[in-house]
Amino acid sequence: MTDPSKIKFLVVDDFSTMRRIVRNLLKELGYTNAEEAEDGAVALQKLKAGSYDFVISDWNMPNMDGLQLLQAVRADPALKHLPVLMITAEAKKENIIAAAQSGASGYIVKPFTAGTLNDKLVKIFEKLAQSPA
Amino acid sequence: MAKPIKFDESSDNEDLQALFDSIAAGSEVSMQATKETAPVVDTSGDSDDLQALFDSVSSQVQESATPDPVQSKAGAAEAPTVFSSLGQMTRELHDTLRELGHDKILGEAARTIPDARQRLSYIVQMTEQAASRALNAIEIAKPLQEDMQTQSEALGSRWGKVFANQLSAEEFKLLATDTHAFLSTVPKQTRATNEQLTEIMMAQDFQDLTGQVIKKVVELVENLETQLLRVLLEAKPPEIKVEAPAGMLNGPVINAEGRSDVVTSQSQVDDLLESLGF
Repeated sequence: MTDPSKIKFLVVDDFSTMRRIVRNLLKELGYTNAEEAEDGAVALQKLKAGSYDFVISDWNMPNMDGLQLLQAVRADPALKHLPVLMITAEAKKENIIAAAQSGASGYIVKPFTAGTLNDKLVKIFEKLAQSPA
Repeated sequence: MAKPIKFDESSDNEDLQALFDSIAAGSEVSMQATKETAPVVDTSGDSDDLQALFDSVSSQVQESATPDPVQSKAGAAEAPTVFSSLGQMTRELHDTLRELGHDKILGEAARTIPDARQRLSYIVQMTEQAASRALNAIEIAKPLQEDMQTQSEALGSRWGKVFANQLSAEEFKLLATDTHAFLSTVPKQTRATNEQLTEIMMAQDFQDLTGQVIKKVVELVENLETQLLRVLLEAKPPEIKVEAPAGMLNGPVINAEGRSDVVTSQSQVDDLLESLGF
């Protein structure tokens, strides 16, 4: 099992409060290595430049929204393997389906609990461990 | 409710006036064409006339539209005609609204918008500050709690050994000293944590202020709605259906009652994804 503190997260949300909450939750779960981005465009830049292992992203953001970020990540050969977990207030079924079809690794709807975040992270890591790189 | 209707030319913003004039002067040909078919604007504000005006301009636009969309160059040549037709139409509409006195209503309605915007910014600011304050307090208190937890667990297991007769006299003395020291730090830690809890409580004071401001904004929006509806209902041609554009950026669902297109819990999200094979 990989050392959780070695996994590099990118937390993307236009509200700094939400970024802080997610980072604190990750820290409690042992994931102490996390950076932030305030919209999809900044996030994509950081992803291309740095060596990230996991993306947690909101949907409704200026400049480039979460779906667009997800699609950009999946379209980039260097990034398409990255797990992308959506955490968003968007609750329409059409949103959920669109995210899944675009390759989201998970979908958490706000407001959410620490337990839900943990469950989804565990599920995604299990899947990653099963499938070949 | 009866406000005197002033036919005041100077109520037009200078830039707006200049724009209308330039459009009107722009294309003589299309001006002629529209003048033939456009009805004279009369102060009775007959919606049939407005409808006829829209119809005449839209048929103009259709005539000037190029049948072959690939010929973009030809389309570009048509653009000035379309543009000046629209300009004419807007001018006529503007004049109609002015003569009906509706421009005053719309003007007043529009003036409340910067105020509403400011109030909403204030709300964002207040809630952000409150969240920040609370999170700061939490980040201070959590380590204090974790520290007490670790220490008490360690001491606890040592005491367990005492009752299992596993500690020597020396070790027992040491444990007593350590426990005594720990107990003297506990009140300090708990007091510090309590202070942070109080700080979190105080940080909730934003709710009272934002609540008041939100009420005010709701009032502003209701007024805006009433005023706009008044204008719309008077000018409305028959058979207007307004489809609200359904996008993907809707934000949180405020009221899910009667809706089948949204989910209301994480388990519903999970079920939906599972049912689709994700």
